[in-house]
Amino acid sequence: MTFIVTDPCVKCKLMDCVEVCPVDCFYEGENFLVIHPDECIDCGVCEPECPVEAIKPDDEDTPDQFWLEVNTKYSEMWPNITRKGVSPVDADEFRNEENKFERYFSEEPGDTD
Amino acid sequence: MSQEKPKESSTLIDLQAIAEAKKLFLQRVTWVHHWTDSLFSFRIERPDSFRFRSGEFVMIGLEDGNRPLLRAYSIVSPNWEEHLEFFSIKVPEGPLTSRLQHLKVGDYLFLNKKPTGTLVTDALKSGQRLFMIGTGTGLAPFLSVLRDPETHEKFDEIILTHTVREEQELAYREFLEEQIHADEIFGELLRDRFTYYPTVTRGEFRTQGRITDRIQLGDFAKDLGLIGNRFNPLTARVMVCGSMAFNKDMASMLKEHGLQEGSNSAPGSFVVERAFVG
Repeated sequence: MTFIVTDPCVKCKLMDCVEVCPVDCFYEGENFLVIHPDECIDCGVCEPECPVEAIKPDDEDTPDQFWLEVNTKYSEMWPNITRKGVSPVDADEFRNEENKFERYFSEEPGDTD
Repeated sequence: MSQEKPKESSTLIDLQAIAEAKKLFLQRVTWVHHWTDSLFSFRIERPDSFRFRSGEFVMIGLEDGNRPLLRAYSIVSPNWEEHLEFFSIKVPEGPLTSRLQHLKVGDYLFLNKKPTGTLVTDALKSGQRLFMIGTGTGLAPFLSVLRDPETHEKFDEIILTHTVREEQELAYREFLEEQIHADEIFGELLRDRFTYYPTVTRGEFRTQGRITDRIQLGDFAKDLGLIGNRFNPLTARVMVCGSMAFNKDMASMLKEHGLQEGSNSAPGSFVVERAFVG
């Protein structure tokens, strides 16, 4: 089992999770974070830290495991992130919006580390 | 005649190389104590730069085929202690604990540089009573939190419960029943403010059974002289550390009593962490 980052993170990217991860298994895109499923030790500390509740255990994924696939794919492509960087200035505006992934998701890597 | 290097030192050099490559500390074991056939504790030297908050866990481990094999362990020591103590079970087939149980003084362990966790007083709002509810090796982080003076500034009263299967598995019992009360600093600090409440699920014991049952049936409240068998969201703060199933049961009970889960970024009235095994 692993934890996965899901839709509410898109455009918010608050990064509180990064600060508490004991194994630094977060990877950073321009407007989204992912967890590397092979590196996550399933400790669950990040889950309650996320202010927008974007992190879930993978047994709460969609039936087609969409988020697990996203986390797996982009953790191989993006750079590792080990400290909290600067969140998007307009993060608050997107906080309560739903289905952000299909609208705003960017494949570009982030650059905190 | 050239003298061959002793095997021990070449092993240490290999370990140092792995530690450096993986950005880990390599720390010497200074103490090992076996409680039972399946439970033991050990200490390593604490690096000067290693800082943590009482109640946190950290990854520690051994070398496995030129790579570190690490698992998360709660730190038993409070944050001011000079060494780092850990409390572990021995799992015969466990990749790490099956080897860790043979640990001797003078061996070396890897220590990750990033302690973390939610069983910290920072994740709880101030309250009157702090309940620390643990099963098995889930006792470990509470031994740390209990000995942090900040805990006693934040809460008037501490109640620590420890549930195990058999009485002999009540590790640290003597420490919690006697030694801590004789301690120069904590003896005074804990006077009339600390209750240790062990329960045993198999065999005769004065407080028998699962802690969840004792709470729900009202025995816990009765034994402690508390009013009602529910946690009061205004005054009670709770830390939970045990098996996954136990944590789930406790968390749903606490939510049902009106308590809210806290985290580092948003303190609440209870926090949960699983006891790490394997």
